[in-house]
Amino acid sequence: MSVAVDPMAAGLGTSGGPMGVMRSDQPFIRCPRNIVSTVNLDCQLDLKMIALQARNAEYNPKRFAAVIMRIREPKTTALVFASGKMVCTGAKSEEHSKLAARKYARIIQKLGYPAKFKDFKIQNMVGSCDVKFPIRLEGLAYSHGAFSNYEPELFPGLIYRMKHPKIVLLIFVSGKIVLTGAKVREEIYTAFENIYPVLTEYRKCQKW
Amino acid sequence: MATFELYRRSTIGTCLTETLDDLVSSGAVSPELAIQVLVQFDKSMTDALESQVKSKVNIKGHLHTYRFCDNVWTFILTDATFKSEEISETLSKVKIVACDSKLLQPPHP
Repeated sequence: MSVAVDPMAAGLGTSGGPMGVMRSDQPFIRCPRNIVSTVNLDCQLDLKMIALQARNAEYNPKRFAAVIMRIREPKTTALVFASGKMVCTGAKSEEHSKLAARKYARIIQKLGYPAKFKDFKIQNMVGSCDVKFPIRLEGLAYSHGAFSNYEPELFPGLIYRMKHPKIVLLIFVSGKIVLTGAKVREEIYTAFENIYPVLTEYRKCQKW
Repeated sequence: MATFELYRRSTIGTCLTETLDDLVSSGAVSPELAIQVLVQFDKSMTDALESQVKSKVNIKGHLHTYRFCDNVWTFILTDATFKSEEISETLSKVKIVACDSKLLQPPHP
């Protein structure tokens, strides 16, 4: 089976595509796609009581020891633990993640708990982009062996563990890139600026 | 086998309960017998829905609220359309309560 190459991304005439130095404010890097944050509400919670009273809550202690709660704006999911610790996922920006976490804390407060908002922290950020040309992953894996892990039989993407900044990149033949492991968004931008020249080097030439 | 008392609040269930209440208060039926009838009703409803109902209904609407607790799903839908081969009806607000019937079976030894 031949490797599927998106004809739109085949690199012939990248008129709208990136050339030269990448800037972090460039629109084609879609960042962040997802943000994971944590906060400590600093009070013990009765999860069953929360699941029964809060809306849009799931609690199945046999499967997972937390209440799973969702809100629509910002569209996020929270995991609320009995210890009062909470994880908020799915937000698209730092501000949205914090706003969502505050909304969840407010819901817990309204149920009668003295919930605080301690140690809010962004734990992970995910970004993605499309360089709009196909990439020779074998060549990249060979020359950057120390950072690369490419096992096409296990996973079609190349896993690139950058050291500085410490970011993990998933690089696909199609030219689509996923960047994860960042605590601040600049790390994603820097990682992309670092990897882009390497990707152009391993651009796959179309054979007719 | 144990059964849910879920169907007692259906139209047919409330009618039966009201009738039994009347019979008990008039002394025609003992309270014990009335309870026995209700337990049989639970079983018969479960059996009938399992073995005699073949029709399927599609429910489509806006999910306003959901909840999963104690193995019971609760959904509140707004502007829900119920569609089967014969009918299609839209309701402004619907509450669905769903239990897992597997929970009633004795756990594996």
